[in-house]
Amino acid sequence: MEEDFMPRIIGFLCKWCTYAGADLAGVSRIQYPPSILPIRVMCSSRVDPLFVISSFLRGADAVLVAGCHPGDCHYQRGNYYTRRRYAVLRKIFEELGLEADRLRLSWISASEGRRFADVITDYTERIKKKGPNPVKKEVFL
Amino acid sequence: MSDPKKEGEGLKGAAFSGGKSSLETVLGFLKRTLAEGCFDALLLPVKAPGGDSFPYVLVQDKALLEDRGSPLPPIMPVQGGKAVSSLTRRGKAPRKVAALMRPCEVRATIELFKLAQVDLENIFLISIDCPGVLPVKDFAADPEKGMAAFGEVLEKWGDRKVRPVCQICHRFTAPLSDDGAGMVVDLHIGLLGIEDGEVLLIPYSPAGEEILAKLDLVPAAGGDILSAWRDRANELTKKRGEERRRAQEEMKSKVRGLNNLLETFDKCINCHNCMRVCPVCYCRLCYFDSEAVKHPPDDYLRRAGDWGSIRFLPDTILFQVGRMSHMSLSCVSCGTCEDACPMDIPVAQVFSLVADEAQEYFGYLPGRSTDEPIPLATYKEEELEEVEDAPQGASSETKEKDG
Ligand code: SF4
Ligand code: SF4
Ligand code: SF4
Ligand code: FES
Repeated sequence: MEEDFMPRIIGFLCKWCTYAGADLAGVSRIQYPPSILPIRVMCSSRVDPLFVISSFLRGADAVLVAGCHPGDCHYQRGNYYTRRRYAVLRKIFEELGLEADRLRLSWISASEGRRFADVITDYTERIKKKGPNPVKKEVFL
Repeated sequence: MSDPKKEGEGLKGAAFSGGKSSLETVLGFLKRTLAEGCFDALLLPVKAPGGDSFPYVLVQDKALLEDRGSPLPPIMPVQGGKAVSSLTRRGKAPRKVAALMRPCEVRATIELFKLAQVDLENIFLISIDCPGVLPVKDFAADPEKGMAAFGEVLEKWGDRKVRPVCQICHRFTAPLSDDGAGMVVDLHIGLLGIEDGEVLLIPYSPAGEEILAKLDLVPAAGGDILSAWRDRANELTKKRGEERRRAQEEMKSKVRGLNNLLETFDKCINCHNCMRVCPVCYCRLCYFDSEAVKHPPDDYLRRAGDWGSIRFLPDTILFQVGRMSHMSLSCVSCGTCEDACPMDIPVAQVFSLVADEAQEYFGYLPGRSTDEPIPLATYKEEELEEVEDAPQGASSETKEKDG
């Protein structure tokens, strides 16, 4: 049934690394699936877990939070906090039996255009296999 | 440390008596602390004139203490952490105040201290063995019956009449370990395993020791009363731990998965009482009460268009899961949220289930120490690699029901 299902992935990408990496993938003409809807944030730590939950509950098939590699955050420590918050969020999803594999945290630097494309391709494939987010059938959220 | 002979040597306790019941004895003790000038005021639950509630009152008047002071009230209409926070939020208490609370309230106070919403200077923390509390609504419906029911609760320590989270509470007493690690408190009042009319005063800090010394009470290590208290407390802690695991497994089967989660919360009327009464929902303005969650009509119509329909008020599950993502690590399983829920949703049972898991993941225990930062306020450079990219074995439990 999901032959032509193209997942919609909301990506919160930090301006300094991942967003620039996405740009590089673009200008280098590296192919990747048109699944990602990028939202630029100043730092991955700007992403309140609520943004992720909200995207998920509003029907995104998956959510990506991406930023600079640990140690490379433009604001020194932002992504370390991001990782902790994200880990808690994942635990909550797991504990509640929500689909934690529709969430992803990845570090992609400004020079990693190739990695950006790989992450999106890999993630898209995984979500394709899972199918659309079942919340879309729920009115009483 | 593992030397079994050392068991019990670290903790010291002083027996105190004088009242007809243990709770009367506690009042007697508190009165003495005021009379001897140990404290300038006490913050403790006091029976309201109507006899139907037990709010916290800052007491200086010994007569009020004697008439209405309730060291262990049958209900928890306000979480003690909130009471201490409203007292000291704008700064430290200018004179010495002793706050007497149940252990979960003390833990919440410590979390609020870490969140800079409680100032502990001049606050002396006293905890007391807790048999649980009755659901606040049951009590309000018939206070007389409630008083009688609570009498039984006190006798049996583990009655089904107390709230579900109290029935499975395994942190109802002070730390039993020798080093006293496990909860920040100055003095604990032990009731378990002790004859009626008597109590055990256990100091957990230098300030606690000082107060006892001022009252000429000499805490002894070992001793019959101390070991009776400890044995009973240990036994009950173990039993409750088992019950907690069992009850949580059962709760999991009811709440896990999108459909179950929706069913659990579909009665929710979005009143946000649960957030407002929660001691550790610390924000001055909750995100969910802010303009940020209000969208233009166009947005809702678009969502309704995409999905066919959309509920109003919207975002019930977002509120629940979002709240968990903010405060799970500090949740003290106090049950206040559930008490306040007009729709009888098992909010605290769900929150504490998730909280236990999240806290264990970080090896964190709320209220254990004032130095240990809340895990979201700190980090290690190398950690948590297991959550990066696409972790193996991620769950997809919602599948089964959505078929
Ligand atoms: S979520 Fe409920 S049980 Fe947990 S601390 Fe808040 S009020 Fe207490
Ligand atoms: S739900 Fe979140 S934003 Fe609202 S008070 Fe609690 S912690 Fe703060
Ligand atoms: S108190 Fe109950 S009804 Fe009100 S918002 Fe919380 S869960 Fe919903
Ligand atoms: S600036 Fe990129 S993660 Fe902080």
